[in-house]
This record gives sequence, structure tokens and C-alpha cells, in this order.
Amino acid sequence: MELSRRDFLKASAAAAAFAAAGAPLLGSNNADAAEAGIKWGKAPCRFCGTGCGVLVGVKDGKIVATKGDPAAPVNRGLNCIKGYFLSKILYGKDRLTKPLIRKGNKMVEASWDEAMTLIASKFKEAIEKHGPDSVAMYGSGQWTVFEGYAASKLFKGGIGTNNIEPNARLCMASAVTGFMTTFASDEPMGVYDDLDLGDTYFLWGANMAECHPVLFSRIIDNRLKNPAVKIIDFGTRRTRTSQMADQYIKFTPQTDLALLNAIAYVIVKEKLYDEQFIKKHVVFKKGKTNIGNGLEDKFKFTDDPKPMTFDEYKEFLSTYTPEYVEKLSGVPAAKIIELARLYADKKRKVNSLWTMGFNQHTRGTWVNNLVYNVHLLTGKICRPGENPLSLTGQPSACGTAREVGTFTHRLPADMVVTNPDHRAMAAKIWGIDPKKIPEKPTYNAVEMFRALDRGDIKVVWTQVTNPFQSLPNLNRFRKGARKGDGRFVIVSDMYPTKSTEVADVILPSASWVEKEGVFGNAERRTQQWFKMVEAPGEARSDLAQTIELAKRLGHGNLFPYKYIEKEMWEEYRQFTGGGKDLAPYEAYVKSRGLRWPVVNGKETLYRYAEGYDPYVKAGEGIKFYKNKKDDGRAVIWARPYEAAAEAPDKTYPFWLCTGRVLEHWHTGTMTGRVPELKRAYPSAVCEMHPDDAKKLGIKNLQKVKISSRRGTITLPVDLNGRGKAEKGNIFVAFFDETKLINELCIDAYCPISGEPDYKKCAVKVEKA
Amino acid sequence: MIQKSSHTGITRRRFLKNGVLIPLALAVAGGSISTLFLRRADARGFYLRPPGAVEERRFLASCIKCGKCAQACPYKSIKMAGGEAGIGIGTPHIVAREVPCYLCPDIPCAKACPSGALDKKLEDIEKITMGTAVIVDRESCLSLRGLRCEVCYRQCPLIDKAITLEPRHNQRTGVHSIMEPVIHRDKCVGCGICENACVRDQPVIVVMKSPPVQKDYYEF
Repeated sequence: MELSRRDFLKASAAAAAFAAAGAPLLGSNNADAAEAGIKWGKAPCRFCGTGCGVLVGVKDGKIVATKGDPAAPVNRGLNCIKGYFLSKILYGKDRLTKPLIRKGNKMVEASWDEAMTLIASKFKEAIEKHGPDSVAMYGSGQWTVFEGYAASKLFKGGIGTNNIEPNARLCMASAVTGFMTTFASDEPMGVYDDLDLGDTYFLWGANMAECHPVLFSRIIDNRLKNPAVKIIDFGTRRTRTSQMADQYIKFTPQTDLALLNAIAYVIVKEKLYDEQFIKKHVVFKKGKTNIGNGLEDKFKFTDDPKPMTFDEYKEFLSTYTPEYVEKLSGVPAAKIIELARLYADKKRKVNSLWTMGFNQHTRGTWVNNLVYNVHLLTGKICRPGENPLSLTGQPSACGTAREVGTFTHRLPADMVVTNPDHRAMAAKIWGIDPKKIPEKPTYNAVEMFRALDRGDIKVVWTQVTNPFQSLPNLNRFRKGARKGDGRFVIVSDMYPTKSTEVADVILPSASWVEKEGVFGNAERRTQQWFKMVEAPGEARSDLAQTIELAKRLGHGNLFPYKYIEKEMWEEYRQFTGGGKDLAPYEAYVKSRGLRWPVVNGKETLYRYAEGYDPYVKAGEGIKFYKNKKDDGRAVIWARPYEAAAEAPDKTYPFWLCTGRVLEHWHTGTMTGRVPELKRAYPSAVCEMHPDDAKKLGIKNLQKVKISSRRGTITLPVDLNGRGKAEKGNIFVAFFDETKLINELCIDAYCPISGEPDYKKCAVKVEKA
Repeated sequence: MIQKSSHTGITRRRFLKNGVLIPLALAVAGGSISTLFLRRADARGFYLRPPGAVEERRFLASCIKCGKCAQACPYKSIKMAGGEAGIGIGTPHIVAREVPCYLCPDIPCAKACPSGALDKKLEDIEKITMGTAVIVDRESCLSLRGLRCEVCYRQCPLIDKAITLEPRHNQRTGVHSIMEPVIHRDKCVGCGICENACVRDQPVIVVMKSPPVQKDYYEF
């Protein structure tokens, strides 16, 4: 069928949907919009995983304004300060508009044909000489669904390598393996509605006040309406979230593992668990212990799950008495007992929320398992207003990296390359020989850049991400990229970054509403937008770039589409039945997003819950139906406390934790181009406890030299800042490209998820 | 080393320009918010003086315009006033929107003052009063419109003391809270970091002359 984009737009009746919200669709003939001279279209925000809806106003081919979309259920017309400045992120003075090729130490302008010819020749040469596993794609949770899908299809189905990874490995991978090991299906059962419906919120390693600001203000509003609402913030740093919480529970880094086991211990000892729920919905398992930290190159780990009984699990918990865990964590035993009782209180609707404190953890998978344990013991899960909810950091970490499956081991919709049936299904949809998709995963993100440093990977292409600022142990990888000897780095971006600095070819990319796209947010909501403005100069979408390479490598037949996005969507959708169902493209054009599984046009609020999830049969109540091998039950895991990869010692006496601030997003390549945000928070500082500073003779604002075994930077100390470091800890934000704190971070990672720990390494601090 | 730039305030051009502006500003003083944005000398004739400055009239009488405080300032926050300052020409002041006072704990500017215009004996930087921050344009404040901005609050060096956040229900969305930044006069030192950081083109939070402490006839 010949279906042009124009026909599709007409047929989808999208204009009507937009007009209803007072926002005529771009390109429609709406008279009111024409009068104002500004045409409005809908899009999800370009920044975090919350997925706020915005309306984008375009005049004379330029975005002149944005506003929070009042019809968007996620944010109901609100934004944070980053969202307020969305209209400026595309218009930084140094936008890349032409391909650049390295000639010696200079980057020289080139035509697209020249650049793509060079890139294709490097791919061909490497594949010929060293095999398909010598080329790699490093993408992003900011890829649109189409960009991720095309890259995965080209690399796994065309080139025949599993060398594809997203930066989501650095932020979400532990959440994924947590979900997969406990429920055998990625992504949460709950939704944002729980923020309004619950009354008890345990936050673990999540500074929601700054990093999920719009969602946090929902919990705070819930508390304003209902004085019974309690917010308990577990952390290793006193943040803006702690400030607004009812209780701030500080603990020694890494002991969250012990604390969660102690909470389970109290719940079991005091028989506060839900016996019926456990009998019907839970199995108990244990895995390997003492599993290492991924510090050695080519580290490999395979878990060996063994079933256990409830009694054996109780026996496992017996180590974690509140008294023992008090010694480890610094949290008083009485407090642990009090909070365990709060978790189990039958009158309370309890939620747990977490982000990078859990995920960027050498035992990230375990700590995700452990928080589910508490919810599974108490049966506080899959019900309106009480759920564990893993928050995400990127706009499509869920929609693209996780659902499309742009990890080395994954295929779309929870499928994996190691499973022959999954490979066969992918091959069938892709119209390729099943043997084409390799059965072995290759490198996780850290290992991918280790391989580039060693020379095992020759050609790496990065899109929509900035690894040469965001990787841990950064010095090694920055040097590795420039070692020569056949190594070739291609960076697609909209601005010059720390990654374009080490590139051999820089490709100018279209961003956000300069292309059509779909993102998926943290509550399983899939949101679509149309292209609204042209990209500047010769910039092209990453999707077009990937398909151009495919054509030049002889894989053009993988992308036979006329209206690429719609047709690719319908193809991708074939992967998604059985509980991860996505709707036809039109449904997303018309709506402000739908939460999957979408069956018969209806979205799903609560997964695994009867009356909500269409895959749960009448009378089943709750069914974890994705976990077929455990008879539709979820797994409570016995996961012990194990020490951090690197802890403070005499030479390096401080814990270093890194993170974000509200004003900037990730490596600051977009927010750093907004003068107002730059002015609001110009550069990184080192947060330190005043007592530690006093001991070292350091006054506020004085410069200090911070060193780890891997690197050194100099920063001013901030003793009165928005974040208050605990004694023995320091905190530095990672957005500042002039102060690369990640040079100090350790490249230790969770052996199960492959996600590095950016929250814990040992440093020393001296007067500069 | 004498920073030449510290003294560029006094140019013929600026003198002429401001010579017209200031009388105009004074003419509309007594209500108009717009005059507050003439930050060099607002409608009330307010100059943000360096930390430890004595009362304004005494300050003008004592300051010998030597520029030592400006030289001592590591951030170049302190500028010497231009012609618009009238009799205050050549006196040190801070234009918060350009560079605010970062509240050095050892207060080098005051220590450098040879005349007593700045109080050398000042020890606690948190106890000074240069002025008080005020939200002068509530309609334009993004936080008060429900957006999660609150940059002034988070950048305040006396966070949770000088500025606190007071959440209240957002009627418009029904499920969010408006986080209102509330300035506490007794704690705000008037450093101007909030004014500097405000993301609006015209700052909606500005440092003004601290209002006098009032006597209460009522027990709260």
C-alpha cells in the first residue's frame, strides 16, 4: 500500500484531537492558529524520564515558545525549569551543521557523501579484517524508538554483531535485571497515579526534588491534602528531597543491601508478612554470592539460581538483625524496626521509589531485588496506590533502550539473543536468516570502551550520547579512543562535546522536534510527536544516518519503508504481544501517550492485576504471568550484603558520590547552551561536611584538589549548598564539561546488570 | 595589583547617560516597580554596599574611595560607583545581577578597608546585612506559577534559613504543589546571589534596602 505521510496525517484525524486541547496540529489549516502566527504541536519533553508533555509553538520555521501541555496526564501543564527553556536547546550558537572529518589535529568540513563514504569504508575494512565484532554502535536512552530500532536491526540483523549498547547501561541496567530476575519482565507494575493515591513513600537513593521535580511536587501535594502521608528518604547525602521528607535516614554507602534485609528480617520475625500472598504469588531463590565487581577486562559472570523454601529464606535473613545492621549502616536498630513496621502497616498504602542510588551500584540488581522482596512479603504491590516504582533518567530509556532492546543481549519486548526462539522470531519479522543474529552477547557499555582501548573494537559510532564525559574511569577511555592503530570513532551530535573532541568523524544531528519520534517514559507511557521544524544546515536525524550506513554496507533492504516511522512502528509492534502490547501508530498520534500493554485500544494502569491487566484472568487476582518458569509467581531473592568495590582507607579517606542538579541535565550539552540555566548554576562544586572541612583547614569556597586512584580535579568547596554531604562523604555533579569528575570514578560494575557504580569510590581531598 | 576595570564606572558617557536617567527615576519613585530595575541606584537611592558597610550616611562620610575593597574581592564583585552616584561617586558597591557577593568566610574586602567605612571587626559573614531579597514581580516568578524552578532558593548560600520553600496546593493542575520561595528578613544578608541566578530576563527577586525592624503590639 502506498501511504504517504500527508495521507496518513489526514486519515489519522489528528487535527481534531489537538484542537480539543486548544493546540492545533502543526500543518493543519486551523484558522485560530494561523491568526496568532504560531502553530502548536505536542511532544514529550526532551529531558528526563518523567515524560512531561509540552506544546511546541513554531513561527517562521523556528520554535518560538513551549508550554506545559494541559492535556498531558503526566504533568497537566507544568514543567521544571529545564522544560521551561526547551525552546532554547536547539538554538545554541555552536550548533553543528556540517559533517566534519579529522585531518591531523583539525576537524575539516566535508560533504555528507564524503563523510559517509569514509565511515562505510572503515566499517567494511574492520569487518573484513577483524570480523563483525570489531565494529560497534553506542546509542542512547534519548534515541527515539525508531533510531534505536534501526540501529539494532542494522547491527544484529544486518552486520551480524551484538555490539550495540545504549548509555542506559550506565543508568537503568540494574533496574532491568532487577525486574527480569524478580518478575521475568522489564518495567514497573505501577504508574504515576500512585503518587496521588498512596500515603507512604520510601525513597531510596533518589533525589526526586531535583531529578524528578514535577513528580515530586505531586507527592508533596498529596501530603498537603492528606496529613497522614509520610515521606521517608533513605540516602547518603542530605538533599532537597531530604529537606522536604518527613524523615531522612542516612546510612553508610553500600549498606542499603543490609538495611533492606533487616527490614525483611523484622517483617518476618514479627510475622507482619502477608501469608496468603506469599503462598499464592511468590517463590524463593538464592543465587551466587561473592560475585566480584567487574573491574578486570573481559569480566564474565553467570548466576546460578537455586530454589529455596520460606524457612530457608528466614534462615538467610537471621544474620540481618537490626542490631547487626545498625553497626554496618549507622541506622539505629529501633529506627529499622519502626520503618519495617511502617512498610508492613496494613492500613498504609506503601510505595518505594528509587533511581541512581540503587541502579548505579556494584550490587544494583541485588538491591532492586531486595526492595521487591519487601513489597512481595507484605503483598503491597500491583494495587492502586501501592507499588514499587523504578524512576528513570532519560526520556526513552524505557521506550527505546529497554523496550526496543538496544542492549548487546536483548531483542525487542523482553526477548534475548541467547534464546533460539527469540532469534527466530526476530529473524522472521526482519526477513533475515536466523543464523545472522549471533547468539552470544558481546560487550556491556564499559566493556565496549575497554575493548576500544585494547583495540578489539576498531570502529565505534556513538549517537545521542556523550560517553567521553559520562563513562567512569574516564581517562582510560578518552586516551583509548585516540590510540590510533586502526581505531575510528564516529560521533553524531547536535553540539561539540567532550566526545566530539576524540572523534574522527563528527556528524551533525537533528534533535527532538526536528524529526518525528516516539519516546517511552518511566510509567510505560509511549508518546509520539511529529517533526515541527527543519534541522539547521545539513544536520540530519540519527535515523537517516543509520539507514544511510545500512545502504552503503549493502543492508538497505532492511529498511524498505516509504513513511519510515509509521511502517517501522507497525513492524516493531509485531514483537510486542503477550503483555507488552503496543497500539497502532494512529493511537499515539491522537493521544497524549498510552501505557502498555495496550490491548483493544485500552491502556493498562496496573500490570499483573485483575481488572486492569487484560492478561490476568478473572479470579486470579494477581498473576505474574510473564514468569512462566515459576508458574506465574514473582521471586523473593536471598541477596546478601557485600562490600563496595572500593571503600575509603587511610590514603583515600572519603567516599565520592556523583549526580545531577535540577538546572542541568546529564553532561550539560543542552542545558549548558541555555544562558539562563548556565547563569543559574554555572559550574560544579564539591559538597563537603563542615566538620571534615574544618579538620582539613578548608573554608567555604576555597579550592580543593580531589584525587582518586584514577584522576584528580580541582573544585571550590561548597559547605552551605543545596546538598549537604555527610561526614566522610563528598558529592560532585557531573554536568560540568570543564571539570570531569568521572575521571575519578571507578569502572566497577554490577556483575549481573553491567551497570557501573558512580556513587561510591574512594578519594582524598587536599587544599589546592 | 590595581584592577583598572574596577574604576571604569566613571566614564563621561555613563555620567551623561545616568545623569539623565536618575532624575527621571526619582521622579517616578514612590510606587513604580520599574524603577527598581535601575539597579545602580534604585528609586530609593539604594546601593548594595560591600559586607560590613556602616550605615549609608556614615559610609559616605567615611569612605575614602581608595578601591582597596574592590582589589581584595576575589570575584570582582565590588565596583566603584560612577557619576550616577552623585556625592557617592567613586564609592564601592555591588551590582548583584552582574557579580553578586559570594560571602567569603574571611571577608577580605572589609579587612582591606583603611577608613572604617567597612567594619574590619566583622567576623561572621552570615551576620551581615547588605540588604534584603524581595520578590518584586510575583506574576513573573516561575515558581509562583507552579513551575519547578526555585533557583533562587537552591542557590541561596543560606538555604533553608534566608529562603525557605513553602509548598501549597496548585489549583490549576489539582495534583501538584506550588513551591513558594519565602525570604526571611532576619536571616537574609543581601548577597544578591538569588538576584544573580534568577532565570528571568529581568530578575523577579532583587536585593533591596532592608526595611527597619518593627515594634509589635501583639504577641504572636
